[in-house]
Amino acid sequence: MSLKSVLAVALGILSAIGGFVDIGDLVFNTQAGAVFGFQLLWVVVIGVVGIVVYSEMCGRVSAVAGRPVFDLVRERVGFGPGLATLLAAEFVNLLTCAAEIGGAAICLQLLSGLSYRLLIPLAVIGLVVCSWVLPFEWIERVFGYLGLCLLVFAVAAIKLHPSWGQVARGFIPGSHTGGGLTLYLYFVVGLLGAALTPYEVYFYSSGAVEDSWGLKELGLNKVTAMIGYGLGGFLSMALMIVAGVLFLHRGISPQFLGTPPLAVEHVLSQVGLVLALIGILFAVGGAAIETSFSGAYNLAQFFGWQWGKRERPAGASRFTLSWVAIFAVAFLVVLTGYDPVKLTEYSVIFSVVALPLTYLPILLVANDRAYMGTRVNGRLANVFGVIYLVILLAVAAGAIPLLLITHGGQG
Amino acid sequence: MRLSELLGRRIVSSSGLSLGRIHDVRAELIHGRLRLTGLVAGELGVLERYGIGTRGNGGATRAKIHGHPVIPWSRVVRVSSEVIVRD
Amino acid sequence: MSDPVDLDIGLGILDHQLVDGDGRNCGKVDDLELSSLDSDSPEVVAILVGGNAWRSRGILGRLLARLAGDAVHVPWGEVDSVTSVVRLKRPAAELRLNRGDARWASVIRRVPGS
Repeated sequence: MSLKSVLAVALGILSAIGGFVDIGDLVFNTQAGAVFGFQLLWVVVIGVVGIVVYSEMCGRVSAVAGRPVFDLVRERVGFGPGLATLLAAEFVNLLTCAAEIGGAAICLQLLSGLSYRLLIPLAVIGLVVCSWVLPFEWIERVFGYLGLCLLVFAVAAIKLHPSWGQVARGFIPGSHTGGGLTLYLYFVVGLLGAALTPYEVYFYSSGAVEDSWGLKELGLNKVTAMIGYGLGGFLSMALMIVAGVLFLHRGISPQFLGTPPLAVEHVLSQVGLVLALIGILFAVGGAAIETSFSGAYNLAQFFGWQWGKRERPAGASRFTLSWVAIFAVAFLVVLTGYDPVKLTEYSVIFSVVALPLTYLPILLVANDRAYMGTRVNGRLANVFGVIYLVILLAVAAGAIPLLLITHGGQG
Repeated sequence: MRLSELLGRRIVSSSGLSLGRIHDVRAELIHGRLRLTGLVAGELGVLERYGIGTRGNGGATRAKIHGHPVIPWSRVVRVSSEVIVRD
Repeated sequence: MSDPVDLDIGLGILDHQLVDGDGRNCGKVDDLELSSLDSDSPEVVAILVGGNAWRSRGILGRLLARLAGDAVHVPWGEVDSVTSVVRLKRPAAELRLNRGDARWASVIRRVPGS
C-alpha cells in the first residue's frame, strides 16, 4: 500500500471517529453515567458493533451496486413499504436535525456568551452556507477533524482516575444499582438508539457514492467502518466514564447540555473546556448536516430525482431544495424554544421505534445477488445482521412504553 | 389498464377453480416492444413481497423472475374484476 | 434488441429508476400502461411517471396522487434498454420529465454559488 493510500485511509478513519458522536450520544451517555455510573458500558459495545456491521453492509452496497441502499429500497420492497420507510425516516431526520441545531446553538452560547435565541439562526445559517459552498469531501473533513477535539473527553476520563476495575465490570450487564429496572432499560434503549441512528448509515451509503467508491474501496469500507466507528465508540464510553466519576454520587443530573463540557473544565481547566465545546459544536453541527442531507437523499432516491453534492445546487434542484427545507423546518422547531435535551431524547426514542423498518431493507439489499453479484453478505454479516434485527425489534417494542413509564428518564 | 390495477386480481379458471392471485406479469422484451406472455400466479406471501424467494436470472438485463408457475397469456379468456383463464 | 429476454415486469421494471439519454435520473417507473389485454398480443405501451400515476398504488399512493398533477406518459418506444435501471433514448426535457427540477433550478440559480 502506498503512503498516499495509507494516508487516505487514516484520514477517513479520523473523520469517522470525529463524526461518530452526536447530540443523542452526548445526552444519553452522560445521563446514563450520572445515574448508573459505568454499569451501562456494555450497551455502548453492542451499539458500536451494530453500527459497524450495518455501515459495512451499506458501504459495500454502494461500492458494488454503484447506488446507495435507499435508492434500491423502493425497487426491492415495493412502493407501499418503501414509502412507509421514507415517511418514518423523514420524521426522525427532522427531529434529530432540530436537536442537533439546538445543541450547536448551546455550544455557541457557551463559547461566545451571546443569547441562545440569537445563536439559533446564526447556527442554521452557518450550517446551510457550509453545506451550500463546501464540496462534499470538505464537509466531511472539516466537521470530522474538528470533532476530534472530543478526544479531550477521553483525556479527562483517564485523568479522573476512575476505578478501572469498576469500569471493567461495566462491560458485564446485569447490575443496576442507582436506579430501578425500568429506568435501566430506558437507558439501554436510548443508548442503542443513539448509537444506531439510521441517518448515519444512509448518509454513509450515499456518501460512498458521492465519493465514487468502487470495488477498489471495499477494503477501505471495512476499515473505515470497523476502526473508525469502533474507535468512535470509545468517545461515547469516555462520556459515560466522565459522567460516572463526576456526577454519579453528587446527584447531578445533566439536564443541561453545558454540563459535560463543564465537567471537562473541572479536570483540564479552561483549555479543556474550550476544546470540549469546539468538539461538541463540530460533531453536532456535522450531524445536523448529515441528518438534513440524509433526508434529502432519501426523498430524491425514493422519487428518482437527480441527487448529490457532486452536482451544483442548481443541477439537482429538488434535492437542494429538500435539504434546505429540512434545515428550515428544523430551525422552526428549535425556535419554539423547546428544551433541546428533551428534544434530543424524543428524537432518539422515536428513531428507535423506526429502527427495524429502516434496517431491514439494508439487510435485504445486501443479500440480493442481482445488485451485489458475488459480494452478497457472507455468513458472518448475515448472522450479525439478523441478530441485530431481533435486538432492534425488541428495543423498538419497548421504547415508547419505557419512555412513558420512566417519564422520559426521570425515574 | 395499468399494471398496478392488474396485480393482485384473482385468477379463476373457466370451470370456477381459483388459481390464486396475480403475483406478477411475465413479459418478453423483443424488437423494442414489451409483450406480455403470462401471468405469475400464486398466493401473495408476506416474505415474497420483500423479494425473498425470487431468483435473479443474472443475465444481461439482470432482470428478475419469480420462481412461481406461469400461466401463458394464450390461456386468458377475459380480464375483468377477475381474470378468467381456460382450463 | 437482440434475443428476446424474459422478465417479470412487477419485479424487474415497476418502481425501478428511469435514466434519460444523457444519463440523468428522471424519476421512477411509477406504473405501466397495458393495452390489448383482450387480444393475443397484449403489451406494455407506456411508462407512467409522477403525478397521479400513484393513484392505484395503495392508500398512501392515492393521497399523494391528490396532491400532484397529471402523470407523464412515456411511450414504450422511448425505452433504450432495461437493466437494473430503465434507460431512455432521449433527454428528459424532450419527454416532459424532470419538470420539477427545471422549475426549481431557475429559483436556485438566483443564489450565488449555485
